[in-house]
Amino acid sequence: MAKTILIVDDSISLRQVVSIALTNAGYEVIEACDGKDALTKLTGQKVHLMISDVNMPNMDGITFLKAVRLNPSYKFTPVIMLTTEAGEEKKKEGQAAGARAWVVKPFRPEQLLVAVSKLILP
Amino acid sequence: MDLDKVKQTFILEARELLAAMEEALLGIEEDLNPGESINAMFRAVHTIKGSAGLFGLDPIVRFSHTVESVMDRVRSKQISLDPTLVSLLLECHDHLASLITSTQEGVEETPESHEGSQRLLNQLIPYLEGNGVIESTPVRVAAQPSGASEGGWNECWHLSIRFGPDVLRNGMDPLSFVRYLGTLGKIVHLASVVEKLPRGEDYDPETCYLGIELDLDTDADRQTIEDVFEFVREDSEIRLLPPHSKVEEYIAFIRAMPEDERFLGEILVAGGCITTKDLEEALRTQKAETLEDGVIHGRLIGTILIEDQAVPPPVVAAALDKQKKFQDRQAQEMKVVKVQADKLDRLVDLVGELVIAGASANAMAVQVHEPRLLEATTIVNKLVEEIRDNALSLRMVQIGDTFNRFRRIVRDVSQEMGKSIELELHGGDTELDKTIVEKLSDPLMHIVRNAIDHGIESLEVRRARGKPDTGSLSLNAFHDSGSIVIEVADDGGGLNKAKILKKAVERGIIREGAELSDAEITSLIFEPGFSTAEAITKLSGRGVGMDVVRQNIDELRGSIELESYEEAGTTLRIRLPLTLAIIDGFRVGIGTASYVLPLDLVIECLDLGPFLESEENHLINLRGEVLPFLRLREIFRMPGEPPTRERVVVVQYGETRAGLVVDRLMGEFQTVIKPLGNLFKQVRGVGGSTILGSGEVALILDVPQLIQLASEPSSGLRRRPATHLPPTHS
Repeated sequence: MAKTILIVDDSISLRQVVSIALTNAGYEVIEACDGKDALTKLTGQKVHLMISDVNMPNMDGITFLKAVRLNPSYKFTPVIMLTTEAGEEKKKEGQAAGARAWVVKPFRPEQLLVAVSKLILP
Repeated sequence: MDLDKVKQTFILEARELLAAMEEALLGIEEDLNPGESINAMFRAVHTIKGSAGLFGLDPIVRFSHTVESVMDRVRSKQISLDPTLVSLLLECHDHLASLITSTQEGVEETPESHEGSQRLLNQLIPYLEGNGVIESTPVRVAAQPSGASEGGWNECWHLSIRFGPDVLRNGMDPLSFVRYLGTLGKIVHLASVVEKLPRGEDYDPETCYLGIELDLDTDADRQTIEDVFEFVREDSEIRLLPPHSKVEEYIAFIRAMPEDERFLGEILVAGGCITTKDLEEALRTQKAETLEDGVIHGRLIGTILIEDQAVPPPVVAAALDKQKKFQDRQAQEMKVVKVQADKLDRLVDLVGELVIAGASANAMAVQVHEPRLLEATTIVNKLVEEIRDNALSLRMVQIGDTFNRFRRIVRDVSQEMGKSIELELHGGDTELDKTIVEKLSDPLMHIVRNAIDHGIESLEVRRARGKPDTGSLSLNAFHDSGSIVIEVADDGGGLNKAKILKKAVERGIIREGAELSDAEITSLIFEPGFSTAEAITKLSGRGVGMDVVRQNIDELRGSIELESYEEAGTTLRIRLPLTLAIIDGFRVGIGTASYVLPLDLVIECLDLGPFLESEENHLINLRGEVLPFLRLREIFRMPGEPPTRERVVVVQYGETRAGLVVDRLMGEFQTVIKPLGNLFKQVRGVGGSTILGSGEVALILDVPQLIQLASEPSSGLRRRPATHLPPTHS
């Protein structure tokens, strides 16, 4: 069984590129457009890793992370946050919420793949 | 799904984001609570940067990065968003838009675009002053840099890892890093350190007590190995010893660790980093300080604990459940599917064919008098009608987006002209066919520019006329009897009729001394080659005038009305059909031919006899209202005699009504509009053609033109040889 990864980002093109890269690497991918969408899509799913943007409409990545940690099924699921150098404040906020894995935007698909494979292999 | 397609998605997405950014920027000055707008702008640039990075579009990344940083400072209220910065950000928006366009055209970076980026970046940099780049935390490394290979013989890196207690809670699996190390090279030796593991009652399953000592045979450099632990290094202690380190370094390494020396020493011996002899020696020198023996008790359960990431059954917390209900609603609001426009066009084409085929089936059913077949075709036709309406509504877009672009244009143009102008937008949610909206944007732009340039007066003139300093311009869209009306109104000087007349004579459009009504004078501005601006300004005097606007509107089967009051303002009304493809038609017959009128324009049908007021002047009396009428039989020079009982179809377009006299009324039917060829372009009175269910061709009448002809019989069709049309025969 391939490992399933949830990618949460409000940019369709980013999601698609990431999706292609991860799928080619042998992962299953679920896409969500913001935190709320992601929480909906997580219900009844087994996800092995989550990749989330920080700044999104409706529900941002930090709120999403906090909410997802309340769900016992996802209490210990690794989460990679996508961030920008400009988001140092957010990063602190994210660390308080328990985010440790950060990939700095903009990144190339290969960089994200490396980060993912440090946390889970397909 | 290939990357090129995704790139197209990126371009579309970027455009939308830029539009949102522009709207936010333009609205921000009036916004009482600009926080959300600023956030939206930041997000727009942020997303563009993120996605551009994925495609390796470095110029966009570089540029948007700086814009984003500036916006971030605005967001965190470190700098304020003053009008200068708004203007600068608008310029940045434009530049980003042009970069996106180049990307679409496959051009990565031109010298001009590079120069543009540089120029704007230089302007942005002052806003960033005092903002240093924050470096990420480096790995705490105990050992000296590699290179001290003298005397060393071990081929492996030695890694000493003590995971932080929160590692598990943060979603990190210690085992995953070991697995990943395995992709870099061969793990020669591994030992777990579980010294920190507490006794039963103090044991917390969510806390990580694990340490790992391992030897890795790899060609990877220090940075790569350090980076493996990128995500845990802030909480954890990670030490690296390069291959070929000296024995003393290993000893020092052992001493630096919090655990018992003998235990660590044994691990190193087992890994082949040092020999037993070295260890003994090292320990002997330490003996005095070591009080306890070095025996470690405990089980190696750390790894096991983490490996089976025990997942309890999915019990969704009440809070989550509540949130979910809210999300469902939100998700519904956001369900939008993007479809390529040409796919929609194809669909509408097919629906058009379906309508014709349906009508044909229906006609046959009527002929064979088979009730069950008739019933079936009626149902089919009803469904086809619904499909038609649905298909057409797919092409409908709100005019609001087009309107919003004018906020920017008005802002820029009024600044350029030194005029203060307030733009009001109404009816942005009015829906129009996509094709119409696209083709409307240029003429509308021209009209708005004209209004600002020629309409609204300079400050001095306005003051002299007792008007407020700020000029007002409004764009308004609404439905009106089967068509869409778009109004552009200004409170400027209005049209100067004397000036128009003079200019028209100069240009040879009219003869000197010609007597013209007010409406005729105002309509002169739509004549080719007409321009009233005394000095041709940069804005509207571009050689193309209102005649081009009129031509564009004509192509959309629309019309323009102009209402102007001297010194008080001008209102320009563009009247457009709802859609270009399919209409509800009303079929009438003359002789053997049939013609179609757009049903929306038909008011009522009467017998001509009782209502005839004056045959000579072509007038009917409709319950006290005198209306002009036209005999289509005469206009289209239909051979043969009219029937004894002639019918009148009363039609209305805008404010004017007229009667059209026909032989027969044949009822409503769905009409798929097919354009007429170029050959018929000059023919007045017909707007298009359609195919009837029987396969016959019928002409669609251009009601506005016919009404005009009926109102001014002197310029009637009868004088124009070009209108001699062959009637359509069955």
